[in-house]
Amino acid sequence: MPLLACRRLAFRLAVGAAVAFAAAPALANDPAAELVSTTAAQAIDIIKTTTGAQRQAAIQQVLQTKFDLPYMAQTALGTHWAKATPEQQARFVKATETAEAKAYSERFGQYSGQTLAIGKTTSRPNGVFIVDSRLNQTNGQPIKLEWEVRQVPAGLRITDVKIEGVSMVITRRSDFNSYIQQNGGKVQPLIDELESRAAR
Amino acid sequence: MIASVFKVATRVRRSVAATAVAAALLGGCAVNDTGASEVWDPIETPNRFIFAINRTVDVMAIRPLAVTYRDWVPEKAQKSVRNLLDNLGEPVTAINEVFQGDPSRAGTTMARFLVNSTLGLAGLFDVAAMFGMERTKTDAGQTIGIWAGKGVEPENGGFYLVLPLAGPSNARDATGLMIDYAIDPFQILPIAFNWDWWYYSLPRAGLNAIDYRSRTMFALDDIEKNSVDYYAALRSAYTQNRAELIRAKRDKTDTKGELGRRDNLALVR
Repeated sequence: MPLLACRRLAFRLAVGAAVAFAAAPALANDPAAELVSTTAAQAIDIIKTTTGAQRQAAIQQVLQTKFDLPYMAQTALGTHWAKATPEQQARFVKATETAEAKAYSERFGQYSGQTLAIGKTTSRPNGVFIVDSRLNQTNGQPIKLEWEVRQVPAGLRITDVKIEGVSMVITRRSDFNSYIQQNGGKVQPLIDELESRAAR
Repeated sequence: MIASVFKVATRVRRSVAATAVAAALLGGCAVNDTGASEVWDPIETPNRFIFAINRTVDVMAIRPLAVTYRDWVPEKAQKSVRNLLDNLGEPVTAINEVFQGDPSRAGTTMARFLVNSTLGLAGLFDVAAMFGMERTKTDAGQTIGIWAGKGVEPENGGFYLVLPLAGPSNARDATGLMIDYAIDPFQILPIAFNWDWWYYSLPRAGLNAIDYRSRTMFALDDIEKNSVDYYAALRSAYTQNRAELIRAKRDKTDTKGELGRRDNLALVR
């Protein structure tokens, strides 16, 4: 089954999205790469010192300060964002934030000493930095991770993580879009679903 | 013997016909492709139906087997099984590497195959990697994607298709799968020499499925748990991952294509 081998690592250890060690040298004068490496270091620290609800809260705090969550949520909602009321938008951002924090703290349960080697940073004309990195595992092939970093008024923020070419935001976008289509093109059922999952 | 040659010939002919059909379909959807739009899925209803069946089979049989395999079979044995299966796949990879315009890489792959088949005891041990010949893996789906031309984004693999048992695919990759099957010496030999299906083809397919499922466990569980529509999330993840593999080969240095695609995403926001 050669075809099957292709998505073999997609999403595997999304742990890698944040679980990481930083290759500290060669990062000077590269704020985007520095952001990625400090985020990774913070995540590792959280895994080592916390568990359960405390971990989830700590992760959520990292997400809030290092990631541009409202922007990611807006991208994930796509064309439906404009159709939503401000109140719906706020609730949606809140719900996705909790969902992310929960997902990450669960993934980190599987942490087993992976290290993150940060590669080159590509600057693109639309003001986005792409930071290449490689998550080395104790056994098996390294996983390719790309971080999308963007300048916002408050500073640099991570806006997307691509694992073996699979973008978290684009995957969410397809996922949400399909759910909305199946529920009469309305955003509310999606928000309700996300909120009920967050409460679980 | 002659009969079996005919069998092979018929199979190849069928594959070629299928390729032509798939090529026509691929060509038909290359218009206005920004790569930022949703995956083209005109047969979503039958796809979801097959997807549901696959999931049932997976939950009832394949996943439990894979969990048992992952947790109970010694890691070294798992590694050897994987090496063995990978070794059987090397000739197909080498042929594809030739058609992808990388004959030197194909040479390395063949060298790996010869070293591992002999010194590596029929592929059980990856001796070649110790000699510095790293394993690569490619397939005809990627070859088609590379040859599709600059106008066709790698995200565009024709219509999305869920195959029974094998799962996510599309016109391009399903065609590739048939080509790979037709050119695989280890699929042709059993037919040519009437190897017993029970002792070769079935164990190979079975081991492949269990090995593959155990390796994708974490990723698939994660997508399933963190999505509101598993089918759509997997469709997107599959398409992106395949596109990444093709793009990495198509323009090893040029990141412009990817740039444009992401900028298009901003347009539809």
